Amino acid sequence: MIARPTRSGVPAVQVDHLTVSYGPTPALLDISFQIEAGQLVGVIGPNGSGKSTLIKAILGFLKPDLGEVRLFGAPTDKARRRVAYVPQRGAVDWDFPVTVEQVVMMGRYGQIPFWAWGPSREDRQHVDDALVTVRMEKFRRRQIGQLSGGQQQRVFMARALAQGADILLLDEPFAGVDAATERALLEVLDSTKQAGRTLIVVHHDLATAAEYFDSLLLIKQRLFAFGSPQQVLQPELLSEVYEGSLKAFEHLRDVSTGGDK
Amino acid sequence: MNFLYDVFVEPLASGGYLFRAMFAGSLVAIASSMIGCFIVLRRMAFLGDAISHSMLAGVVGGYLLMKLIAGEEAHFGAMIIGALLAGFVTVLLIGFVSRASRIKDDTAIGIMYTGIFAFGGAMASVFSSEIHVDLMHMVMGDVLVVDAERLWMMGAVTAIILFVVILFYRQLQLTSFDPIMAASVGVSAPLIGYLLTACTSLVVVSAVSIVGIIQVVGLLITPAAAAYLLCNRLSSMLVLSAALGVSSVVLGVYTSAWLNIGAGSSIVMAGTLQFMAILILAPHNGLLAGTLRRWSQVPQHIVEDVLGCLRRDETHATRFETIRAHVQATPAVLRRVLRRMVAMSLLNQTPHGFILTESGNHEARRLMRAHRIWETYLQRVGMPEDSLHDRAHLLEHLNDEATVDYLDDRLGHPTRDPHGQEIPEDFIDLIPGAEVKASLLRDRHRGVVTAIIGSHLHDQVALGDVIVAGPREMDDTIWTFRLPSGEELHLDHDSADQLTVRLADPNSERQVD
Repeated sequence: MIARPTRSGVPAVQVDHLTVSYGPTPALLDISFQIEAGQLVGVIGPNGSGKSTLIKAILGFLKPDLGEVRLFGAPTDKARRRVAYVPQRGAVDWDFPVTVEQVVMMGRYGQIPFWAWGPSREDRQHVDDALVTVRMEKFRRRQIGQLSGGQQQRVFMARALAQGADILLLDEPFAGVDAATERALLEVLDSTKQAGRTLIVVHHDLATAAEYFDSLLLIKQRLFAFGSPQQVLQPELLSEVYEGSLKAFEHLRDVSTGGDK
Repeated sequence: MNFLYDVFVEPLASGGYLFRAMFAGSLVAIASSMIGCFIVLRRMAFLGDAISHSMLAGVVGGYLLMKLIAGEEAHFGAMIIGALLAGFVTVLLIGFVSRASRIKDDTAIGIMYTGIFAFGGAMASVFSSEIHVDLMHMVMGDVLVVDAERLWMMGAVTAIILFVVILFYRQLQLTSFDPIMAASVGVSAPLIGYLLTACTSLVVVSAVSIVGIIQVVGLLITPAAAAYLLCNRLSSMLVLSAALGVSSVVLGVYTSAWLNIGAGSSIVMAGTLQFMAILILAPHNGLLAGTLRRWSQVPQHIVEDVLGCLRRDETHATRFETIRAHVQATPAVLRRVLRRMVAMSLLNQTPHGFILTESGNHEARRLMRAHRIWETYLQRVGMPEDSLHDRAHLLEHLNDEATVDYLDDRLGHPTRDPHGQEIPEDFIDLIPGAEVKASLLRDRHRGVVTAIIGSHLHDQVALGDVIVAGPREMDDTIWTFRLPSGEELHLDHDSADQLTVRLADPNSERQVD
């Protein structure tokens, strides 16, 4: 994979005073942070805490009430090609008549001119590279419903890579996959990060969050913490955000002491 | 030959109207079944119904408008434009109702299309003195009376649909599959949605004159649904769907001539029959293929009973008769099972009988472990001694690794079953080099400590220590380990679970006694 040059000093994602609302109460309130390029960042928070709203705002799908999102210094509508989105597995119609290869090729659709009959040789090359990166080249002609959960997730990862985006947004990629698959997926995320891309991952499992990510964003409407896992995974902080279900976090002390060794 | 002539050529020869009907019908079928593909994939089948019904109001409106303004009778263009507008208005109203209220799409569709259909019917009654078209004709449709004007319209519609599908193929595919992704690469899902609605209206308007309002959905979605069962690619689904649409028209028109029934009904019926045939006969997902697959599969529990029987038999090779005496199955099934087991290389067949292969032996030992763990479990939960074996024999078929390992752990990793027979160790997990909990180790297993959870063990063992398991004590509840220092470590189940060891290769280091 080719490392991507990034203009030094400009953060990959910069969010300033972002406030988004659907009704009378804001879904996101005054959120500000910046993520440097080449980081693997986890977004954690309870259900309905605004994690997907944040992702949508970074994708530029939402008009914020206040504040803005800048990607490499440019507003979202000018930087569309620089972000790619990997949907939740449950949001995909797995019976759709489409093969692995064709799904990955969809990542190129933004670059194929409207009048072109089909993808160019260069587009095919990008698709091949992306399939190799996620080690799915052997399954390219399979219909997507005939894959295991982890393979399905990797196909969409490949699509995001084929888009040539610098920032990848993943919505719960680890939901409902087994431990071995989780490992394999993590390796793909890591090598993507090594290639200089920035990954923002919505994540559910607090127990693994410390191990997987460079830094964590803890949100529930507001930004509660942003920093290294050790800084964010404080039991006091978590119990405040997850409303006192402290028992669930007791083992985190073990995890963080174990991580220090 | 005469028969063939009578059946196939004679209907076409009589005035050529059947031929024209087939041609017109095929044009419409190509357009509608291609659009139908997207309707099926987007789960909008009801929409076709809605548009076809609401267009009645549009046709009547267009008719009246031209009659009252220009004094022209049955102006064709105005009726079509009216129908398209009515279709569009219906779709917008449906969208409005489902967005503005808690009413879901399907209900909104039901409300709106019946309402607009009723409005069209009412208008037609009020102005019945002005209108000289046969509404019944429109409701039922008739491909056999297609005139030149309609034929031209159908040709134009088909050309437009082909053009749109080819030109917007990528956009249609992407927005149908993943609208969020589409938006992120700058393809507007709502815009493509409107395009598709317009195409659907266009197709429905031309299809209504073939099969009528009531059956138009059949022509729209049945060929597409049949193609959906067979195809793994959208492009092939579009082509096959069009082909199935054409074949249902050809078949339907013939049938209507043979049996003298309405062409609309026979076309839709032909489509449905095609669909049912594909549903049953489809090579991979078809009902027949599924049944055959189930038939040819050998029942797992018989395989397992055979394995158990061969393991217990102490003679060198087990005869078929012996197996038959111990395994409950008809001879025919048993033979098939044995053949399959030989093919799976679980067994070797020799002139003297059947012998377990290495993997067969492995599998048999796994089953024995499951059986004995189940027996132990059953005794622990208080099942009477005499029914232990039979019940465990049934339960041993629940032998996936997670289940057995869970029971093993709950029981405290017993080494002997209630009959005093040895329960094999967890030999699936206990392979040299694997990291396992120390509680899984049996007498004389060696391993390197790789992780210690909790603090109270830290002053007794250190990471990297090589420990050797000794025999279990206190009725299997206390684990003993010899430490590098020569000291003995005594642990209960919970403490042993807190030690993780990497298992050493027994061949190189285990002492032989």
